[in-house]
Amino acid sequence: MYDCLIIGGGLAGLTCGIKCAKEGLRTAIISGGINSLHFSSGSIDLMGYSADKNIIHNPFKHIKSIKRKNPQHPYAKIPVKTIEESITFLTDELKSEKLLFYNNSGKNHFRITAIGATKPTYLSQESVFNEQLDLALKNNTRISILNFEGFRDYYQEFAFSNLKKNSLFNKLNISSGSIKLSFLPDTKKHLLESNSIDIARLFETEKYLPRISEEIKKAAGDSTIITLPAFIGLNNYNKIHKRLLELTGLQIYEIPTLPPSILGMRIDNALKSRFSSLGGEFIAGDKAAGGEIYNHRVTHIYTENYTEATHHAKYYVLSTGSFLSGGLQSGFNKMYEPVFNLQFNWSRKRNKWYSDNFFSAESHPFLSFGVNTNAALHPYDKDGNVIDNLYCIGAVLSDYDPVREASGGGVAVSTACYAAQKIINGIKG
Amino acid sequence: MIKLQNISFDHCIKCTICNVYCPVARVSLFPGPKQSGPDTERFRIKSPELVDSTLKLCSNCKRCEIACPSNVKIADIIQEAKWKYLKRRWFRPRDLILSRTDLMGKFATLFNSIVNFFTRRSIVKFFLYLFIGIPYQKTLPEYENGTFEKHFYKNYPDQNKFPDHVVFFHGCFVNYNNHKLGRDLVKVLNSLNVGVNLVKEKCCGVPLIANGYINKAKKNAQYNINSLSEIHEKSNFKIVSTSSSCTYALKNEYSNLLNLDNSAISNEIEYITKFIYDRFESGNIFKMKPVPLRAAYHSPCHLERLGGVIYTIDLLKRIPGLDLVILHSECCGIAGTYGFKKEYYKLSQDIGKDLFRSIETANPEIVITDCETCALQIEMNTQFKVLHPVNILAMAVKE
Repeated sequence: MYDCLIIGGGLAGLTCGIKCAKEGLRTAIISGGINSLHFSSGSIDLMGYSADKNIIHNPFKHIKSIKRKNPQHPYAKIPVKTIEESITFLTDELKSEKLLFYNNSGKNHFRITAIGATKPTYLSQESVFNEQLDLALKNNTRISILNFEGFRDYYQEFAFSNLKKNSLFNKLNISSGSIKLSFLPDTKKHLLESNSIDIARLFETEKYLPRISEEIKKAAGDSTIITLPAFIGLNNYNKIHKRLLELTGLQIYEIPTLPPSILGMRIDNALKSRFSSLGGEFIAGDKAAGGEIYNHRVTHIYTENYTEATHHAKYYVLSTGSFLSGGLQSGFNKMYEPVFNLQFNWSRKRNKWYSDNFFSAESHPFLSFGVNTNAALHPYDKDGNVIDNLYCIGAVLSDYDPVREASGGGVAVSTACYAAQKIINGIKG
Repeated sequence: MIKLQNISFDHCIKCTICNVYCPVARVSLFPGPKQSGPDTERFRIKSPELVDSTLKLCSNCKRCEIACPSNVKIADIIQEAKWKYLKRRWFRPRDLILSRTDLMGKFATLFNSIVNFFTRRSIVKFFLYLFIGIPYQKTLPEYENGTFEKHFYKNYPDQNKFPDHVVFFHGCFVNYNNHKLGRDLVKVLNSLNVGVNLVKEKCCGVPLIANGYINKAKKNAQYNINSLSEIHEKSNFKIVSTSSSCTYALKNEYSNLLNLDNSAISNEIEYITKFIYDRFESGNIFKMKPVPLRAAYHSPCHLERLGGVIYTIDLLKRIPGLDLVILHSECCGIAGTYGFKKEYYKLSQDIGKDLFRSIETANPEIVITDCETCALQIEMNTQFKVLHPVNILAMAVKE
């Protein structure tokens, strides 16, 4: 019998799990497949764009106004103080795993995407943005956008030409270039066949760092700031980043690549390691297949590999994510939540699910579909009854659009902490 | 023709996450599960001559399937393609010896002291290397005197006195190489007032599948399904196994890979620690005495795939005095018969290197793992003795 059983091991599930385990609750996470941090930017967004598509500089101020404008929004259900505390909680936990985040003293900052667009975000790893970069931008330092020649999951010319068009960068002295490294020394794989993870492992071995640094210096020319695709190490990234700075004498920043996202995986590794060091139990390789609800309470859940055996807990948390992660499912003309068949906000008409233009500024309606909850994040069963011992957190929730608002990370973390606190109060009385 | 029931490769969204978790791609030119599995499957179906020989590098550890967010049966796709499309010689003495665990076991347990004497000699190892390609650095598992089955019927005639019962699928390793584990299992289950029953069984088929003897694997599988479902129908007993790979095969691979109907038993089969965990949870716990040992626990890939690691860890944590270090979950590299082939020997060592190092760093008195071949690999590459969780539980039984 668990105190808290979390279905889904992504940013929301892990954050909730860490908070519960830290309070001594017997906590388990069932995670079917790897989480979407592996596809993420590795920055934590809080609130980047307003409803009229303007960039938000002060996210907390904007979140306060959401309560009035959109009372169904997950942020509207959580006290602003809890949202602030949950972000601090996350950065503290990651810090204890030696993963440091930069926050622009309560304001948003910009991160650069793989194609050189800029997006507002709230927390970034120090190799993505820090004060020095801010300063350098003001002083018009020379920047060189570099890549390893042959690496196909990132194109520096693409990023470069888009940055050149950007008002933040167009007055700066930017150039692009490539680093030559014909194959990976350990596996003899050619760069053309390599993913970000292969090159991250090359950095991890450390013994090639002096040689790589020489090549980087050659490619950098007289720039003092360079950007590399984000693959400077995975587990030892802090040490390797530091070592590279020493060896090259340059300021080195990272730009996310196509998946696998090394920046996201650093967060994933840190959170999982934190969770298990606090005594949490992580079940990978099996998937929650369904749950039983009786008398407005979840009585147990069962998994794909053990359809007859059951897991019991005092509280359950559903953090299975959105359509990509399988937390929400769609068929030809229906949508549903697969574990508990919870009440679901969606449009009955298929042509109302998406916008005709894939890159539409209006985003796609399906991104706001999801499980409907009350103010305490309890969902409703199909007859409309509140389920008392089940909380829904993260991307499975409805009435917010993580892409259009740039709010996914913040909603995941704050709903996770909010639910965790309620569970802790429930167990400890 | 594309079989419509087998298009899980179509669910692949090309996210490449499986490559991250593939232990073989990490250390070799293997292009990774995504390319070898779902990417090239669609080409192979149309033009089998497009098959890529790097397929054979896959060790079937199934870590790609654990990682896949879209539920693609990547390892199954690769296994199937391996034996469907790759050309191989008709007569392969080494693969035959490695995969016919039943045949070898029956023979070797008759003359176990002679067999063990010879397999330990360097000169024999050298000839094995030279003529059939078993790496001379590897130690072949030792054989017991007689089969576990025989010992069981002789030494435990009174299993009927218990109120509860299970069927124990002992598998080849307990039957021919590790009687102690079988005896310990009987001891632990009896302490829980559960009687142990055996049925006629054959090798579960895991080594046969890995070496491409699919027809033989199907025959064995059907034999086991018939035998297990017959006793289950009569008695309603649960079926337990102490081998994580056997459990996974009986439960999932029989239907997914061999296309056999195992629905009568698939829900009744449990890996042993899950079975014991359920007894413990319902209050049926035997009296325990402390086991004052510092142990490092390694979780095998196939138990990870089964989602069964937490049950083992939970049981071990309940044992008083046991100082448990849980190692970071990674493949040990042996992957059944894979590490016993000279062409994969270096790969298998490279894959396991990090694990061996982390075991050395943890500096335990013993290592605990659920899988018999992981145990062989760890014993060959570190100086530590490796035990099964059931061995430790048996040590904790207070009589």
